[in-house]
Amino acid sequence: MENFRLNYELVKKFIIEFIKEEVHSNGFNRCVLGLSGGLDSVLVAYLSKEALGKENVKAIIMPYKTSNPASKEDALATVTHLGILHETIDITKISDAYLKREKEMTNIRMGNFLARVRMSILFDKSREFKALVMGTSNKSELILGYSTWHGDMAASLYPIGDLYKTQIFEFAQFMQIPEKIIAKKPSADLWPGQTDEKELGAKYIQIDSILTFYVDQRKTIDEIIAMGYSQKIVENVLNRIKKNQFKKTLPPVAKFSPRTFGLDFLYPHDLGK
Amino acid sequence: MKIKIALAQINPLLGDIEKNREKHLEFIEKAIENNAQIIVFPELSITGYRLKDFTMEVALPADSNFFNPILKQSKKIDIAFGFVERGKDKNIYNSAMYVENQSIKSVYRKIYLPTHGMFQELRFMGRGEKVTTFKTRYGNFSMLICRDLFHPSLLFLTYAQKTDVVLGMSSMPLRGVTGEKPAIQETVEKAIDTYTNFFSQFIVFVNRVGFEDGLGFYGGSFVGTPLGKKLAFAGILQEKLTFATIDLEEIYKKRQLFPLAREEDLNIVQNNLSRILEENYGKF
Repeated sequence: MENFRLNYELVKKFIIEFIKEEVHSNGFNRCVLGLSGGLDSVLVAYLSKEALGKENVKAIIMPYKTSNPASKEDALATVTHLGILHETIDITKISDAYLKREKEMTNIRMGNFLARVRMSILFDKSREFKALVMGTSNKSELILGYSTWHGDMAASLYPIGDLYKTQIFEFAQFMQIPEKIIAKKPSADLWPGQTDEKELGAKYIQIDSILTFYVDQRKTIDEIIAMGYSQKIVENVLNRIKKNQFKKTLPPVAKFSPRTFGLDFLYPHDLGK
Repeated sequence: MKIKIALAQINPLLGDIEKNREKHLEFIEKAIENNAQIIVFPELSITGYRLKDFTMEVALPADSNFFNPILKQSKKIDIAFGFVERGKDKNIYNSAMYVENQSIKSVYRKIYLPTHGMFQELRFMGRGEKVTTFKTRYGNFSMLICRDLFHPSLLFLTYAQKTDVVLGMSSMPLRGVTGEKPAIQETVEKAIDTYTNFFSQFIVFVNRVGFEDGLGFYGGSFVGTPLGKKLAFAGILQEKLTFATIDLEEIYKKRQLFPLAREEDLNIVQNNLSRILEENYGKF
């Protein structure tokens, strides 16, 4: 297995400066975030509070009727501990208004739909609170595309987007997040019993090692398999990268003019900031 | 000769040259108040770094009136800063300008423009070709820009032209967070330690701070001296103005303690280089 340890004091300092500068330079002082009670969103709540101050961070807690009740409790405990603002909005009614009329609903469809309902609420709340929407995606998730396009991926910034999940566990310990939250099985909680590792078919330590070898160290698939990883797991993990790449780029524009959005009209995101 | 140098570790706004000029004037004012004789800004300090298609929209000729307020202040202090240069040859360059006493003393065009990974410089800018030394009232100076500092050959060229002080102006993004310091900072400090030791020069390293599209420039500006000291260390990730007083006498002392310069033979370098170029058809 790969050693993932980072200088977390430096990482913390860097991310806090990043949040401060990105939020302020975009003309905001505040942020909202969807707080599920899972480790990633709790970590982003901790970092946002340190960067912007507790009065400038608002957590939106959005349970659905099938959500694990323990998640909401963890979210509320986090809010109380940090002293940040919060609002709880049960999304059962609003979601069921649509879901009930659909005869053959699958887990994936439902999961995506709930993620996008949460996204809609979050962006509306950001307008009300005059705030940016903080993303909670991590590096493992972003590379694999293991998230809902225009759902939980929709955000103004990704402060923890360069940390593998394995590093998130370590960083969370450094940030003194309660062990109870760190120890939970990672899950999008989109349907009862869903866990990331079950769905991805491997432990995060394996997934992140494979991603580090392939993405950061540019090892080939054969080299990774030769290191003792099962071909099935390696292929399953790496196939997701290509399959989901569409989520990580702008949609292609049919180019025929001299300068085209996304192709050769390349203004940076942070222009004037 | 003793010189007080101000290191302006600033965070320029991306693409907003008016606001950045204002910031330059503020820092220059503070440096004058502190009796500094030279102030050094980072790479592309007037424009910001990751301009992409906006590069062309902020390009200015070196003699543009836009720089007049800065030139005016150079009556009181020498100023080195970075900008996107619209060349008379109709190309665009990542350049640095040194002004003294209301006139342009030198314009240096970055030679090695990184274009790989997160870097895209050659896509938007042309490559400079000339490493020069220019005489100021304080001694012989050269400017190099960011990636240039990772090419010992360029430092050697400043050394061969008797440069006392190299101004290394940078926009270096942070990467590598496993050690006590960012890995990139270790790399820069090791390189500067080596150059200042073997070339017995001063290197004034000024790196910017701030974030652009997720790249976080780490700062960490300092002055390296021939005797291996680090002066005016500015710390990381925060805007800061620090001051170092350097004594050019140190070069003389170092060259007597460790007389490498006396041993150096440019003919040997040239003869070998000519042979290598011939054998490799001019390619590396």
